[in-house]
Amino acid sequence: MFDVWKNVLESLKQQISHEKFVTYLQKTSLENVEDGVAKIGVQNIFMQINVRKNFDTLIIKALNDNGLKVKSTEYVVQNNTNRVRKSREVSIKDIINNTKQKPKNNRIIENNPPIRLSLSTGLIPEYTFDNFVVGTNNDVAVFTAKAVVDDPGGKRNPFFLYGKSGVGKTHLVQAIGNELLKKNPKLKILYTPINRFYADFIDSIKSKKPEAFSKKYNHLDVLIVDDFQMIIGKEKSQEEFFNLFNEMYLSKRQVIVTSDRLPDEIKDLDVRLSSRLTQAGAFDIQLPSFEDKCAILQAKAEFNNHEIEREAIEYIAENVKTNIRDLNSEYEKLLTFAELRNMTPLEIINSGYANSSPSVRRNSTTPKKIIDKVAKYYEMPVSTMLSKSRVAHIKNARQVAMYLMQNELGLSTTKTARELGLKDHTTVMNGVKRINNEMKMNFKLREEIGTLRESIYD
Amino acid sequence: MEVNVDQGKLAKALAIVSKIATNGKATLPILSNVLIKVLDSKVTLTTTNLDMAVVDYLPTSKSKNGEITVPARLLADFVANLPKGEVKISAKDTKITVTSGKYKSVMNGSDASDFPELPELNEKDSVIYKIPVEDFKESMSSVKIAASNDTTRPALTGVYFNTADESLFVAATDGYRLAEKKIISGVSSEVKAIVPANTITEVLSSISEEVEEVEILFDESEVCFRLGEIEITSKYIDGSFPDYRKLIPEKSDVDLILQKSDVLRVTKLAALFAREVGGSIILETSASEGVLKVSSVANEYGENVSELNTEVSGDIKVVFNSRYLLDALNVLSEEEIKIGISGSLQPVKIENSKQNDYVHIVMPLKG
Repeated sequence: MFDVWKNVLESLKQQISHEKFVTYLQKTSLENVEDGVAKIGVQNIFMQINVRKNFDTLIIKALNDNGLKVKSTEYVVQNNTNRVRKSREVSIKDIINNTKQKPKNNRIIENNPPIRLSLSTGLIPEYTFDNFVVGTNNDVAVFTAKAVVDDPGGKRNPFFLYGKSGVGKTHLVQAIGNELLKKNPKLKILYTPINRFYADFIDSIKSKKPEAFSKKYNHLDVLIVDDFQMIIGKEKSQEEFFNLFNEMYLSKRQVIVTSDRLPDEIKDLDVRLSSRLTQAGAFDIQLPSFEDKCAILQAKAEFNNHEIEREAIEYIAENVKTNIRDLNSEYEKLLTFAELRNMTPLEIINSGYANSSPSVRRNSTTPKKIIDKVAKYYEMPVSTMLSKSRVAHIKNARQVAMYLMQNELGLSTTKTARELGLKDHTTVMNGVKRINNEMKMNFKLREEIGTLRESIYD
Repeated sequence: MEVNVDQGKLAKALAIVSKIATNGKATLPILSNVLIKVLDSKVTLTTTNLDMAVVDYLPTSKSKNGEITVPARLLADFVANLPKGEVKISAKDTKITVTSGKYKSVMNGSDASDFPELPELNEKDSVIYKIPVEDFKESMSSVKIAASNDTTRPALTGVYFNTADESLFVAATDGYRLAEKKIISGVSSEVKAIVPANTITEVLSSISEEVEEVEILFDESEVCFRLGEIEITSKYIDGSFPDYRKLIPEKSDVDLILQKSDVLRVTKLAALFAREVGGSIILETSASEGVLKVSSVANEYGENVSELNTEVSGDIKVVFNSRYLLDALNVLSEEEIKIGISGSLQPVKIENSKQNDYVHIVMPLKG
């Protein structure tokens, strides 16, 4: 389309000295023409000023001579539309520092706007349902979360969400908060890690100003408490939280709590609080399966317009066994390497430079390790587990071991049978099938396998 | 235009500004000139190559306002060879006359209006850092070495100024090695900007002895370094710098504490034999023997093995480009250094053993 520019340059070349042309104009380009304004790309700020100063009239004339109706021009530094930019957006750090003093100059020069955090709600707008990838590891939790959005304070109150760190709990509960706020901007929502609640409470006692505390926490429509397991051993704040919880619950206001474990596994937690928290059920997010991980990375790549091969995604999904946070950081790292080396992500993997982090290097477990860990977990000697006993819990343990060998090590049924000292590989087939079916219904089993899946890589 | 200036000061100023003036072939002739501007008893000398500009201010005893441009190198060389004392420069039309006692010369110049206009710095909206000159020199020279020469990847040919955790960092990488240094902590403003490594080189070579502090001003479209009376303004490099922090290993499998001079010696020895294999040398640790072995093999010339005794916690072998290792060693400030190795293809971390504000990462070669 902009072959016109070639002609323009050709005619300018005739009118000015060769040196001037080479220095100032040779590397310019015509970006676009809109409403009589021609946008012309130049190499840098020095060129911007001097091309305008010396050649603007000539350029406008040449453009018109070549059939473009141009009244004025705009000179832009090429590729510079985004990079250097004044931003009025406030970063998280600024908010934290806000109480002390406003930084004199908070100019930010960067590509990506910082994650914004709303001061009053604690919600980060970037965490939404749209960018939360649903998989078999979290479908029930997401389904329930959406039920909370539809009917806050209703059947799913309180909403108790648990799962290992880095699986996306915070993202999901923040998404609930953001969605609720979208539906009803007047709702008073507060997201807070339990630590903050605790600190606020202590502050209110120390400063003898309970008003600030009650102003923040009373009269809320929705309370979201993150990392509840950190409440351990803080009786006073437990009591305070219990009171707040009761008050909100009784007046049908929604409480959302996340934790890395079930309440009855939290040491010294008040039994009453413990049972109340899970009275509307406890929902878990498991570690994602291989397919889930691929889906997460695929979505991330599409969302950010990253170019990454299917095989590269599978490689990361296969090798990161820990959690989604590590999965993301491994993905980011691979892309950085690729950018740095001017190679594709897959080429980086094939060159061997990719696997540099501990989360990837943890990728080693053996059939023997699985047998040992499973036996230990179900508190029986290895010999008992491997015996031909039909006793339910022993058989179950044996089948869990089969399941893990197949899923984590990718062993064939025949090989799995051999490792477990079984003659018939159909026993393995049936066992794995039972575990797969059972897991859909049995949350306890799901969790046990989740824990074991972690521990076999230790 | 007419002005009287001290020969010593003028010679020094011209020496600095004339460095970036082009030699006049192939490019625009005016770019080999220095712009001399006299305004209200202040003389300004300016040169530019249209990527950066150098400006130097000089005091004057007697002056008449005016401006002109003349070939920078010629004037610099002429003034440098004049005797001490006062030099008088006067301009008429496009010629200047330089007089000092019995020495007199007339030079052909050209009109000041032909000289490129320079971007104006918006000081009010700039982010400004002041850095003690020694810190600045050390930081810049220790990081700049890792910048790339490959102009097809512009972002890597610069030094990346960036703030994180309320500190200002500079970093550079060519894709095979990476250097990062923390310059100041406790900053509240934020900056992410790539400054051409050439600009940094120019700034470093323009710092004179009287300068105590370097002031850096990040404007939206240009950066300016103030060194006493000298101001160097430069463009930024467009593009985004890789998110390099992810590449710095947090922990290494084997950390070696060594004396820098020892490692330098054995690396140089090994490098002698490594010429035919592109400088690649082998580092091998042995926990049982407690040694680091540095070796190289050249089929034609023979081979070399040196051993350094040190505490070693594991057995690891890694192949390296000796030049990269030497570069890194040469910029470390402490005698006691730490080398962290994790595996034959993992980045190797080289740093001072005590101060932790500088890291240098080198990617190994495939052995």
